[in-house]
Amino acid sequence: MLLEVRDLHVEFRTRDGVAKAVNGVSYGVDAGETLAVLGESGSGKSVTAQTIMGILDTPPGKVTGGQILFEGRDLLTLKEEERRKVRGAGMAMIFQDALSSLNPVLTVGDQLGEMFTVHRGMSRKDARAKAVELMDRVRIPGARERVRQYPHQFSGGMRQRIMIAMAIALEPRLVIADEPTTALDVTVQAQVMDLLAELRREYRMGLILITHDLGVVADVADRIAVMYAGRIVETAPVHDIYKAPAHPYTRGLLDSIPRLDQKGRQLYAIKGLPPSLTRIPPGCAFHPRCPMARDVCRTDVPPLYEVTDAPSERGSACHFWRECLHG
Amino acid sequence: MGRYVVRRLLQMIPVFIGATLLIFLMVNVMGDPIAGLCGDRQCDPATAAQLRRDFGLDKPVWQQYATYMGNVFTGDFGTAFNGQPVTELMGTAFPVTIRLTLIAILFEIVVGIVLGVVTGLRRGRPVDTGVLLLTLVVISVPTFVTGLLLQLLLGVKWGWIDPAVSSAAPFAELIVPGLVLASVSLAYVTRLTRTSIAENRRSDYVRTAIAKGLPRHRVITRHLLRNSLIPVVTFIGTDIGALMGGAIVTERIFNIHGVGYQLYQGILRQNTQTVVGFVTVLVLVFLIANLVVDLLYAVLDPRIRYA
Repeated sequence: MLLEVRDLHVEFRTRDGVAKAVNGVSYGVDAGETLAVLGESGSGKSVTAQTIMGILDTPPGKVTGGQILFEGRDLLTLKEEERRKVRGAGMAMIFQDALSSLNPVLTVGDQLGEMFTVHRGMSRKDARAKAVELMDRVRIPGARERVRQYPHQFSGGMRQRIMIAMAIALEPRLVIADEPTTALDVTVQAQVMDLLAELRREYRMGLILITHDLGVVADVADRIAVMYAGRIVETAPVHDIYKAPAHPYTRGLLDSIPRLDQKGRQLYAIKGLPPSLTRIPPGCAFHPRCPMARDVCRTDVPPLYEVTDAPSERGSACHFWRECLHG
Repeated sequence: MGRYVVRRLLQMIPVFIGATLLIFLMVNVMGDPIAGLCGDRQCDPATAAQLRRDFGLDKPVWQQYATYMGNVFTGDFGTAFNGQPVTELMGTAFPVTIRLTLIAILFEIVVGIVLGVVTGLRRGRPVDTGVLLLTLVVISVPTFVTGLLLQLLLGVKWGWIDPAVSSAAPFAELIVPGLVLASVSLAYVTRLTRTSIAENRRSDYVRTAIAKGLPRHRVITRHLLRNSLIPVVTFIGTDIGALMGGAIVTERIFNIHGVGYQLYQGILRQNTQTVVGFVTVLVLVFLIANLVVDLLYAVLDPRIRYA
């Protein structure tokens, strides 16, 4: 396994108390595999990713437990200098808003080339040539001229391509894309996702795709991990989950996708709001919003049960996963 | 860019005329410039009339202004009442003040920015609180108090420096006066840098820079500092003009014969030509410094393009 997250716990110390952002998350990604991490905002999906990358703001953030094994090494025990060398070269991250994530006062050529001068010790001239090559690779027209331009001179889609180019610059084994298409027009979204999928295949990279958009997931992901209140509530191969979810929360998410064959009907929405991370409900965190909740859900935290009825490897953190799967 | 510079230069003309006219009129209402020329005694009317004619003071004010400005553009700033050409006074005063300003600016850049970066990166820690408190004290205490205090302690009590600067005013003697002159701005630069750094430190592009695996010093200097210094540079640039004209107090305390000293003397002795001449040059310095800052702004932040 390329990356294995084991029982990760992350907290934030805030004025309102300790916010438990990640509560025992475990997941793994193989080389060449795409794992989609799905969840609402505040579900802990981005915090998990930032912890893997080692870019969590500490303080207020604090890793309170768990392991992050990357190619067999526990990243959490590495010295900062070792960790730094993994960032960018071993694993890279694509952020949501490319405009604010790129430095406004440096040319894109400088920002791309920096990867090569810092990690590979290349000369500025060679790094510049590499930058042009990368921009060609992500299909930015006129790369040779545009390498001297600044981020604000590019369109949203082109900027996100630059972010992608920066992420794949050193051919990392793992790429984490945090909502890479959320800030883009719908038409551009598909192009960017296609490019990402293509590059993943070509370089055989592991890809963690963080999103709240179920539509994006179906086409590109191999596996899905659904997160709620800092835990994984369901994990399964992508097609199984669409066919038959084994957790009421996943079911709620799937039901809230607008469908062409149900035109005119009121769209389903999961009632209530995600819980505050400083006051996560006892028992199953989803129980106040769950249509299937019973007494046991209010007291016992469900472990990630192995879903044995399914032909593939999947898990659900619901006491009544069997009912959910077949009902 | 070229068109922008031309437009800005053209805009400077009305500002220049307005500012100089204002100072010209103000100096004229200050009182009769002839009155002080005959010492303590009243001037003999015939002499006074003669002097008035010689200096062109019998003509209407607008004509005086026009004549004066005409002369200024040929490099003639007139003659002080003691017979010395004003340009000669400038020739001795400006180099001194420029040296003083240079030292003050250097203090602002080096000390101010370093303190700002350090405190900005360590917000809420003891260093930050300490420096913040210090800047507050420096800002609230008037310059003449800081100046006199330093002069008393360093110059008189401990004898580290000469309490008064010699007339040659070499760089070494101007270090302490430069620090005094810079003090308030220095505190502002520190605070401005601190806020800017602290704000940008949480920005997305800094997070990207860290995610790229860049070493910490590179993240700070190349990504964080470059963006955070934009407002600081603007402040320091506009401060050049303020420092050059605002050195009156500091120059008085340390007996530096610079622009501030000459202006002070000019005002005391109702030396119209000196006051108007020096202020005219200061207005020019101020305008040019502002233009340079605006152009520098575009260099530092590529999102700003002047057309």
